Parts: sequence; C-alpha cells; structure tokens
Amino acid sequence: MLNAENLTVRYGAYTAVSRLSFTLEEGQWLMLVGPNGAGKSSLISAIAQCVPYEGTIRLEGKNLRDFRPAELARKIGVLSQQHTVSYGYTVEEIVSLGRYAHQHWLLGRRDEKGTDAIEQALAKTGMTAFRNKSLLELSGGEVQRAFLAQVFAQEPEILLLDEPANHLDLVYQKSLFSLIGQWLQTPGRAALSVVHDLSLARRYGTHAVLMNEGSAAAQGPISAVFSPENLQKVYQMDVYGWMNGLYAPWQTPPESLRRPG
Amino acid sequence: MTKKLVFLFLALVMALSLTAAFAESTAVTVTDMAGREISLDAPATKVVALTASDCEILAALGAEDTLVGRGEYCDYPESILEVPAVQSGADTNLEQIIALEPQVVIMAKMAQTEEQVAALEEAGIRVVVSDAQDIEGVYTAIRLIGALVGRNDEAEAMVADMQSAFADIAAKSENTGKTVYFEVSPLQWGLWTAGKGTFMDELATLCGLTNAFADVEGWAEISEEQVLERDPDYIVTISMYYGEGPTPVEEIKSRAGWEGLKAVQNDAILNADSNEISRPGPRLKDAAETLYQFVSGDEALTPAA
Amino acid sequence: MMKRPCSSFLLWLAAALILLLTMLLCVCVGSVSIPLSSTLTALWNALWGLPLPEGFPKAVLFSVRLPRVLCVALTGAALSLCGAAMQGLLRNPLADGSTLGVSSGASLGAVTALALGITLPGLPYGGNVGMAILFAFLSLLIILGLAYALDRSLSTNSIILIGVIFSMFASSLISLLIAFSGEKLRTITFWTMGSLAGSHFRHAALLGGALLVCGGWILSRSRELNAFAVGEENARHVGVSVRRVKLEIMIAVSVLIGTCVAIGGTIGFVGLVTPHMTRMLTGPNHKRLLPASLFLGAVFLLLADLIARTLLSPIELPIGVVTSLIGSLVFVVIFYRSRKAGGSSC
Repeated sequence: MLNAENLTVRYGAYTAVSRLSFTLEEGQWLMLVGPNGAGKSSLISAIAQCVPYEGTIRLEGKNLRDFRPAELARKIGVLSQQHTVSYGYTVEEIVSLGRYAHQHWLLGRRDEKGTDAIEQALAKTGMTAFRNKSLLELSGGEVQRAFLAQVFAQEPEILLLDEPANHLDLVYQKSLFSLIGQWLQTPGRAALSVVHDLSLARRYGTHAVLMNEGSAAAQGPISAVFSPENLQKVYQMDVYGWMNGLYAPWQTPPESLRRPG
Repeated sequence: MTKKLVFLFLALVMALSLTAAFAESTAVTVTDMAGREISLDAPATKVVALTASDCEILAALGAEDTLVGRGEYCDYPESILEVPAVQSGADTNLEQIIALEPQVVIMAKMAQTEEQVAALEEAGIRVVVSDAQDIEGVYTAIRLIGALVGRNDEAEAMVADMQSAFADIAAKSENTGKTVYFEVSPLQWGLWTAGKGTFMDELATLCGLTNAFADVEGWAEISEEQVLERDPDYIVTISMYYGEGPTPVEEIKSRAGWEGLKAVQNDAILNADSNEISRPGPRLKDAAETLYQFVSGDEALTPAA
Repeated sequence: MMKRPCSSFLLWLAAALILLLTMLLCVCVGSVSIPLSSTLTALWNALWGLPLPEGFPKAVLFSVRLPRVLCVALTGAALSLCGAAMQGLLRNPLADGSTLGVSSGASLGAVTALALGITLPGLPYGGNVGMAILFAFLSLLIILGLAYALDRSLSTNSIILIGVIFSMFASSLISLLIAFSGEKLRTITFWTMGSLAGSHFRHAALLGGALLVCGGWILSRSRELNAFAVGEENARHVGVSVRRVKLEIMIAVSVLIGTCVAIGGTIGFVGLVTPHMTRMLTGPNHKRLLPASLFLGAVFLLLADLIARTLLSPIELPIGVVTSLIGSLVFVVIFYRSRKAGGSSC
C-alpha cells in the first residue's frame, strides 16, 4: 500500500531521517522503534505531509505530494501523541470532524453514512456515553479515546500513530492497542505507529523498522527485527536481559518479591 | 524758623517723591494672571512667549523685537515665523528656552507645571502666566504684557480700541433671540462645538445671538441629531479649507438631513478664521466684526466664505 | 454541562427578533426624543411611500439616526464575526482585531491614504477603505509571521504580546504621520478613537456589501474553523487545506476590519467580548457560534452606541470609550469565572 523511497527529513542543518526506505502492506501493523532522537516521529510527520521532506512516498502507486488534503485524509488518518484542548468541544463534535474529508466542501451536510460512521466510532471506543461531554471535563485517556474515535470516523485505510499510549494509564494503553488491533481486522487496512515500549511493539506489531540516528538498522517481520543482536547494536545494552529481569517476576505471586539489592 | 522747617520738610518730600518717580520709570512690578507678583529692574528686552495669542499681543504692541523665542504654534503675524520656535504645550522644552536666555517667559496656565516653573526661575528666568478666559481677561493680558515690555500707553490704547469696537457692536446689535451653532470639528471626524465659557460664545452674545449649545461647557463632542433638533439660525464653522474638495460651507450644505435647517436654507453659514475667533488676542476684535457683519447682513462687508 | 440548544429555526428567529427590537429601540431613543408611536408611524409610512405626519423631525430620523443605527449594527456584527473567526483560527480566546494589532494596522493604512491623498477613481471611499484593507492584511501577515518565527506553537501569550507591540508600532507611525503632515491630519485624531457619527446610507451599503461577501465566506468555513480551534495539526489530519483556508479567513477578516476601521475608526473589544459571551451560550461549535456572534455583536454595539449617544446628551461620548469600558469589565468577569470553573464555561 504505502511505499517510501530515500526519505530524508531535515530541520535546518540537522538531519532527522536520512535516506530511509520501507513498505507497508495491507494487514500489517508496522512498528517504528528505536532510541530517542532516532527520527521516528519525524517519519510519521513526513508521511502525514506535516513537515517538508526529500524522497518520494507513494500510496497505491501515486505520489503522496499529489494528493489534495481531503483526498489524503480519506486514505490516511493520524492519531497524535497529545492534544492541547482550548475550547470545550463535545466528544461528538470532535468525532464529527473526522467526517470532514468525506463531506461536500461548501455545504458540509452530514449524510446517513457519516452518521453511521460516527455512531460506530463512538460505540467502538466506548465513548457513546460521553458524547455530549466537553473535552475539558475529560481525563487524558478519555480525550485520547475521543480522538481515536475521530480517526475511526474518518475511515482511512492507513492509520498513523505517534506514541498513542504515552502518558496513559495501563487500562487505557491496553484498550487503545486492542481497539487498533480490532480495527486492523477489516481487510484493506494497515497501521504504522511509533512505539517507545518495546514490549508493546513486540506484542502488537507484525512488522518493524528499527531506527537509529535517522536510518533503518533493521526492518522486516517483527521476529527478525527484534533479534538480540539488532537490539544490542542499536540500544547499546542487553535488551533481552533487561526485559527478562523486568517482566519475569510478574510470573510469580507478590509474596515472593524481594527488594532489589 | 517754622517756615524754614516746613520748607525743608517740603523739599525733602519732593526729593523723595522725585527719586521714587525716577525709580518707578525703570523698575517693573506686575501681578500675573495666576496671582504671582513679578518684579523686574527694567522692562524686559528678551521675551519668550509660548502661546500664539501672547505673541500676537506682543506684535500688536510693536514689541516684536523683544521676542527671542516663540511657541511652535505661534504663526501670526507672518514675520513672527522668523523667531526661533520652541516646543510648547504638554512637552514644553525647557532646554530650548533656557538656551535663548530670555528675561521673561510668558506661558498659559495649562502649559506649565510646578517643576517647569521652578526650573526656569532657577535659571534666572521670570515666568509670567497669561491665561485669559474671557474678553475682560484679554484686556488684563494686554496690560500685563504691555507693562512687562514697557509699553503701557500702547497697551491702554489697544484696550481702549477693543473696548470701543466691542461696545460699538453691542450697541448696534439688538438681541434677536436668534441662535448660532459653532462648529469646531466637521461631521466627518465627529461634531465638536464651542459651548459656554468660550470666546465664540461671548462673541455670539455680543452680536445679540444665543449660542445654540449654551448648555454645553467648553468644547465638546455633540450629536448630529441635536444640531438638527435645535435648528440654529446661523452656523459658524471654523474648519480650514485646504484648496481641494468642497469648501467647509459647501460640505455643510451637502450633508444629508441638514437641507431643512434654517441656516442652510437661508444660506447663513460663515466660515470664520479659526485662529481669529479662538485665540484670546487682539484679533478677537476682527472676529467680532466679521461675525457682526455676517449677522447684520451688511452685504458689502459680508466676507467671502 | 449545559444542555446546548439545537441550531433550530426558532432559535435564529428569536435572535433576529431581538436584533430587530434592539434596532427599533435605538432608532426611537436618542438625544432628541421622538415618541415611539410616531416613529413607528413614520417608518411604516416611509416603507410604503406614504406622506409623513406634519411636523415630524424626519431629518433626525432618516438622515441621522437610521443610517447610524444600520452602520453600528453592521460594524458590530462584522467586528464580532472577525473576533470569533480569529479566535477559532488561532485557537486563542484572546485574539481580536484590536488585540492582534490588525485594527491599528488598518488605521495606519487609512491615515496614510488621507495623508498622501490616495483615492480610487469612481469610488468615494476607495482610497481609505482600500488602504485600510491592504494594511490590515499586511499587519496580519507580519504579526503571524513574527509569531511563527518566535513561537511555532502560537501560544496565547506570545501572539498577544506581538500584537500589542505591533499596535504600538502602528500607533506611533500614525502619530508621526500626523505630526509631519500638519494641520490637515490633526483633526483625524478624533476619528482614530472611533466614531460612527456622520454615518450615511452609503457607509451602511459598503459595510453591508463587505459583510455579505466576506462574512458569508467566513460563515461557510465554520467546519474548518472548528478543526482549527481543535488544533492546526488536527485540522491537517482530518483533511483541511490548512494554508488555503487560513489565507481565505485572513483575507476575509482583513476586508471586514479594514472597512469597519475606514468608516468608524478603531472600536475595541467588540470582537473580543461578544464571541466570548456567545460561546457561553452556544458552545464553541462555529456553526452556531459564528451566526450567534453576528447577532450578539450587532446588539452589543447598538446598545453601546445608544449609551454613547444619550448618557451625557447633548454631549456625545466616543463609542470606543463605551465599548472598552463595558468590554473590559465583562472580560474580567468572564476571565475570573472561567478560571474558577476550571475553564469549562467557554
């Protein structure tokens, strides 16, 4: 579906992403992983056409630069990491905005299909009960779910997610990831996300690009990318040892916990 | 013996009074219009006057040569423009004044603060306040300035001239009960008029007219509908004509809704010289005559607007 | 959470009725009192071309008050709409023509046109209005350009700070122009404070035309403004042509503010306060907020003008004094309450 060639993103003299190429196919959930400053978020911004870039990104063979904004929004939806809320829009109003790209440019009438999409998005994300609540009254996790509902209502083919579960409680993290997992079940869809937490990436991703200093250190199916050697090379530490040490104690009941020495 | 004593005494008195008279002819003591007493050893020969009216008075007294500095807005008579100008008003420039080394600075009340006065007096410059609020005040100002520059006779003559002119107008005018509306700022920028306590108001009374806005104090912005409602018999505008577009009189006539006013229908609109009619100086007499001629309808003398 | 009324036909009918009643009140009440009944009769007769009652002060009503009331209503509506649009576009509840410095820029343009004698042939106010619009647009470009260069997130404080600085800059340029151009421009000082005295049907027609075209355009962009108000990134993500819409709104706002300033001078606070008050009634959705701001802005300025005209009759207060006085008080109250309520009220 999505195909990037020699993608380079520069901020002045600083090169955030350097000559990166990758493909995203239907049904895949591609995880962008790597240490801080590896260029993961810049890559998402470039695909969303929010920052200038060199190289080409094609969607179903057509250059992304040639898409009009609304046309692009019907194909690609973006869920950002954080949302600063200035006005008290209701959840339903936020979700309705997702239909923008599907509406007539001037009249903007909401059709039956749009209403269905909004209702379904609200229901799927469990926000139906919150539909008339102002965003200012919601918690961070609820706000993120409202925006997830928005991007669902947008009905894109590809979902771009930039650290969607950062700052969120575990319960929201879990529901967010499983919701996206369910969304991917429908044929013709794919997701690309930046995920900091390697465990989450490993658990939900089908494929991965392991990034280091702007370029890909490894890419392919998650199993191949997450080899101990690859991770060791990029993170400069024994990732497997650390993860095992971190998560193994969860296998045993809490009585056996000892204070770390 | 007694006779001798009396003679001696008389001689002494005469001598004393003679010296006193002699001293009086050089030293000047005046009370300015803020009630402050100012003494000079001799009539001033170097004067800075900050207000246009005081410059006009000085020039009219034939003492223009004493003027070493003028306020920036002083522009009459034209020859005065050659005198160095100093910044006046809210930001009176003390340095400029002190550099001109005058003996006396004449200023209006509103143009001075305690600090400014103190600073000038410290530099050896005497500050005289000339602040006429009515025609009587103008006479006082003329006499005050005349005394300062040693031209008492000229001052008295000028006052007498003005008094007789005003008395003449007042005698010829009868109180007709007709009203006049003074327009200080045109409709385009918001209507401003001159109400009670202004020279325009006083001149109107002199000419037997009633100021249509006598219930307003000083200069004030008024609403257009009030002008239409009060329907004045005369309109006097002091707008300047800059040589392009309609003249102030034409502009007033062209205003929507004004065509029904008595003043517009009778063509009784005068474009007066703004400086003549608003400055408390000798030219008030000219303004009064212009207004009288306009009101009395003396065709030969009616000035072209 | 306040229950938000639907954008039903009845509600707009009520808003229009309130506006109409306010206009009627402002036509009837003035420094010259005309009885309500005779005003109504006169209006009715004039509407059907019937002769007016004998002795009726028709000049006061038809030449002064009616055009003024129309101009005030249209100016209030336009400024309020502009404020609402800018607040949405910049996601900044303090944005307004006067706080951003656009009004000062427009004034500078109008004063420049007067000082240099710029006129457009065939258009009576073309020079003033054209220059005011041009300068308003350039001001917006400069202010937003500076704001972006200094602080990409366009935070509330930095953009208002830049607006204030720009305002001062434009005002000092106006003072310089006035100082250098002598007597002729000094009278303008009165006008820069804002005055709708001397309004004419021509002005009303000009304002009405601008409002119809540019106001209509802004109203049609309410979905995009919603997206901007949620966030510019989000707007891009849902498919808004961010650059194009921003440019359109900026041009429309410049035309409206430029026209208002060229006709009535700078009248502050209308564009700031009325959208705020409106938002408390309708919520932030621009589909309701924009038209409601239009109505409320007109009503607000009409009442402010009524106070300016009648409070000290026959003396008239500058309308800007009244709006700023009411505006700043209302603003403090709103600010205080919204802070106390955790910002949920608007």
